[in-house]
Amino acid sequence: MLQTKNISKVFQGEQVLEGLSFRINEHEMLSILGRSGSGKTTLLKVLAGLETADRGQVILEGQDITTVPANRRGIVYLYQEALLFPHLNVFENIAFGLRLRKQPESVIKDNVYALLERLELPEQAQKMPEQLSGGQRQRVAFGRALVIEPRVLLLDEPFGALDSETRTNMQDLLKGVAKDYGLTAIFVTHDLKEAMLMGDRMGMMQKGKLNIYDKQADFIADKATGVLEEAQFWINLQDLKK
Amino acid sequence: MQANGAAQFGRFLFVLLSAVPIVAGVGYALLYSLGLTGVMAEGMTGAHWREVLRDAAFWRTIGFSLYVALVSILIALAIALALVLRSPRTFTKGSLSYMIYLPLSIPAIVMAFFIFQLLGKGGWLSRLAHQLGMISALGQFPDWVNDNYGIGIIVAHVVMAAPFFTIFFANLYENERLGDYLHLATTLGAGRRQRIFRVGVPILLRRGLATVFLYFMFVMGSYEIPLLLGSQSVQMVSIRTIQRLQRYNLGDIPEAYAISVAYTVLVVVLLSALLWFNRRQMRPS
Repeated sequence: MLQTKNISKVFQGEQVLEGLSFRINEHEMLSILGRSGSGKTTLLKVLAGLETADRGQVILEGQDITTVPANRRGIVYLYQEALLFPHLNVFENIAFGLRLRKQPESVIKDNVYALLERLELPEQAQKMPEQLSGGQRQRVAFGRALVIEPRVLLLDEPFGALDSETRTNMQDLLKGVAKDYGLTAIFVTHDLKEAMLMGDRMGMMQKGKLNIYDKQADFIADKATGVLEEAQFWINLQDLKK
Repeated sequence: MQANGAAQFGRFLFVLLSAVPIVAGVGYALLYSLGLTGVMAEGMTGAHWREVLRDAAFWRTIGFSLYVALVSILIALAIALALVLRSPRTFTKGSLSYMIYLPLSIPAIVMAFFIFQLLGKGGWLSRLAHQLGMISALGQFPDWVNDNYGIGIIVAHVVMAAPFFTIFFANLYENERLGDYLHLATTLGAGRRQRIFRVGVPILLRRGLATVFLYFMFVMGSYEIPLLLGSQSVQMVSIRTIQRLQRYNLGDIPEAYAISVAYTVLVVVLLSALLWFNRRQMRPS
């Protein structure tokens, strides 16, 4: 489905991405774990076409899209903040991509209301973004992306700004929506638990290099991911309780 | 308790310094226009108001002021938005970010003089056109100052307003993360024009609406620029008011005050409309 070949990028003398080659299958969600500054965001922006790589290729469904402009890739990039357009209400935010494509009004209405229903937001259609909670805004942001049926969805720490309860709800919602819509997605996070919950496969990004694990057991076993350390912390805590 | 007292004193001071002089001034003007005060006070009368409101020249003055403000602001906004959306960083970093402050530091009367020198029949453009053989005599150069269309006034205001709006929108662009919104719109499929007209312009205008409106009112009530560059036959509100106030005929003074009160009412109505529009946008459906 989506493949990269030897992607590299240097920014202000620093190697941000170094020879990244990987592949995601159709309807698969790859979660990428990494600390701040590890190159996760740059990778997503290169895939979306918002940044250019110094070397390498991006291939989508067998077609080299390395030089295809971002607005023609069908790859949607979602930020940590929902970034709902402040001048549009919820309905119009979700309808945005369909209006760009000059879809008939009836198609827009049907699609937007179906998504509002699926995202549990049917009552919010006429509200403005500032009238929504953080979780609701993020749902609208998903709706705005999903309505155009993106070939790949790139999620850059989408739940990073949410409280833990909302975050858990949103993780469940995204898992469900990804299954319903057969999404192909890359989910970037610095939260270990979230990476394991969200990804069908997992990757670890460090200093511009990406290591992808085909099995969850391999991800857990690798000391660099920090899973063992985290698990040991909780085991020790249990022992202290006894 | 002390903090509460300090806050109350602060509020009192604010009202004393900002609201009281305005209310007092408008109140005095209203009383004067109704014949209740002033050297020629003849007791309560609506004659001066009738005179003003029935005078076609007064309505032309209001219309002309609105037209000059509207055209000046629209042109300045178009220039500023085009510059900022084309290269936003240019005006927040580097040498241009300092140079763009220069037109703002020039007093309005000096700017009016520059424009007079540039656009007048004996001005630089006229001489250049003559040198290039486009006109055979300087008198053939079109009337771009002291003209009935307010071209000189509009140009002067645009030269001052465009840099102001450019700096203002360039900072908004940064603070509102407009670059991220535009990137997001791009990945949703927006082309260049769609990004500008469906995302960039609406977000900047929405956030900057109050400032744009205040500048509109400032242009509408401006004095120095229309004084030097305006026509005698079609005047802006401030010029007409001051001329009536300074006439030898003391009977004109109540009418001048009536004009200033009417103009204040217009400003308050427009401001109320803006506040209503803003609140309506924020109100839950």
